[in-house]
Amino acid sequence: MAVTRERIKPEAGKLVDMSWDPITRIVGNLGIYTKIDFDNREVVTCKSTSSMFRGYSVFMKGKDPRDAHFITSRICGICGDNHAVCSCYAQQMAYGVKPPPLGEWIVNLGEAAEYIFDHIIFQDNLVFVDFCEQMVRATNPSVMDKAEKTEAPGANIHGYRTIGDIMRSYNPFTGATYKEALHMSRIGREMICLMEGRHVHPSTIYPGGVGTVATPTLFTDYLSRLLRCFDFIKSAVAMNDDVFNFFYEALPGYEEIGRRRILLGCWGAWNNPDFVDYDYRHMDHWGNEMFVTPGVVVDGELVTTNLVDINLGIRILLGSSYYEDWVDEETFVSQDPLGNPVDKRHPWNQTTIPKPQKRDLEGGNYSWVMSPRWFDKRTGDHLALDTGGGALARLWVTALAGKVDTPFVKSTGSSVQINLPQTPNTPEQTLEWKVPQWSNAIERDRARIYFVAYSAAMAMHFLDRAMTELRSGHTKVFEDFEVPDEAIGCGFHEAVRGVLSHHMVIRDGKIANYHPYPPTPWNGSSTDSYGTPGPYEDAVSGQPIFEENPQESFRGIDIMRAVRSFDPCLPCGVHMYLGKGRTLRQVHSPMFGEHG
Amino acid sequence: MANVTTGRPYTGQDKPTHVKGIKEGNAPGNYAKMKGHNPDGTSTAARSTGVHTAGEEPIDPSMPNLSPA
Repeated sequence: MAVTRERIKPEAGKLVDMSWDPITRIVGNLGIYTKIDFDNREVVTCKSTSSMFRGYSVFMKGKDPRDAHFITSRICGICGDNHAVCSCYAQQMAYGVKPPPLGEWIVNLGEAAEYIFDHIIFQDNLVFVDFCEQMVRATNPSVMDKAEKTEAPGANIHGYRTIGDIMRSYNPFTGATYKEALHMSRIGREMICLMEGRHVHPSTIYPGGVGTVATPTLFTDYLSRLLRCFDFIKSAVAMNDDVFNFFYEALPGYEEIGRRRILLGCWGAWNNPDFVDYDYRHMDHWGNEMFVTPGVVVDGELVTTNLVDINLGIRILLGSSYYEDWVDEETFVSQDPLGNPVDKRHPWNQTTIPKPQKRDLEGGNYSWVMSPRWFDKRTGDHLALDTGGGALARLWVTALAGKVDTPFVKSTGSSVQINLPQTPNTPEQTLEWKVPQWSNAIERDRARIYFVAYSAAMAMHFLDRAMTELRSGHTKVFEDFEVPDEAIGCGFHEAVRGVLSHHMVIRDGKIANYHPYPPTPWNGSSTDSYGTPGPYEDAVSGQPIFEENPQESFRGIDIMRAVRSFDPCLPCGVHMYLGKGRTLRQVHSPMFGEHG
Repeated sequence: MANVTTGRPYTGQDKPTHVKGIKEGNAPGNYAKMKGHNPDGTSTAARSTGVHTAGEEPIDPSMPNLSPA
């Protein structure tokens, strides 16, 4: 794959190994191993590793397919509902059932609240720790001095006079924005609970519909909470723009942080009940009616918005991971329902064969994450797509596709317009997210808050439609179905941090094969069999270093900003606290990393 | 399966939870069988209560019938 930067060849002996394992403020065991050339102030190489094996695809076999969404929800402790919903989509395809419209609107409202909650807590409580006053003063004191003197252009919206004031509000545990964001994420969770019964693992989401009883009070309770979020969102967008634009100005060349070739994937979110029938044969049609358009963007060009093409292009390469190949194992699905051939490396045909071994970062295997790639049939390349932390790919694809057109959100072909209604403290506001020049750390972070606004505005549309159903007396939220003996299904959705797919094969009424592919295997994948690095590795390798600290007190803030911009989430292993400081841990090398 | 040496498993192989002959919640016809569910997707007070259902319907027939949860 083309590399975006010219690499400077370092002089021998000047490289310093720097590693962060585990990376903090994310979920899971992610390790970043780099070689840094301090003389040229550049990261020369980067390896991304995960030291944890989950095995969902192994133990899902033989289970009742109706349990799939309850079990796979447990994949993640923050976006479990995304998994449950995606699994229900796959099951609905396999069972041939379409939920009633009101059931679909309730799912959409729950998922909109999830995007609001999760993006806010990650952005303001985790990402902005890297951009807060304390951190910037510790890593780039000259930038902080400049921030104190720079007027904030959006002061009339958010009320902070200087960029330094905004950064101070991001200080963990004490800053005003940090504390308010915690409160907002709580409100978001309440909204999810109203629609999905429980957060993180929903109790009222099923294949065929929902168990939520639709009443006017349900929707007004949701609306009253949503309106409280709008005031926060309006000022948060202005603050984000001010801080990120300031970084571009204060540190010329900062666009290189986390920059990689524009290779973005989005699998679409929020089905439209007016069109969706969960029939694979019509997936291209109803996929294009989703309220976030699915698609693949390569070098700024929208390659496809067809979910069938997206599905057939998925390839799981072993890369540098601790697994055995499955070429000699069974092929479960040789053709899709449209008669298209399905590749042996497609999730429908994958068999997971773990092979634990010692980590070898020098040309060997070093991660439990395989290398999902998307086969570009135009060029024959296996593209290492990333999700841009979810929000960037969703906005980018939706903007270019020009298909979404609702009273609150409209795609223009080059941008996304978001209309936020008047709320108690703020007037009506129209935001416009424009396709940026780069796929880099700052734009991933900026897109995140715009997608919060997108979700909140879209939730207003879902509420309108749900209330219309209710006012006509339609209260049905669930459709009966039978589990077939033989069937296949696939679900495409967006977890908060990006693409999410569930592929299922049913035989004898039981699960014969099940493969969930969440966003972080795409973003955090290891170097693949063709030598193509995974997105984290690609984004960090060759990036310049702007941190002012010398080698002895180096914090690696630029590397952390690059990696965290992808919203990494490698769901964590279990540690059990037994009181009095005694911690019970089951350790099975190499699952807990080199230092575990 | 993987060539990995592991300890004795704590549990046996999972089996599907459904036993033939036992009623399934998702079985076709279940929704229609439940009281208060009309075939057109609307419902009546009988979906919320079994007591005095006739007296709990909307006072104006043109109003949507939205019984409480």
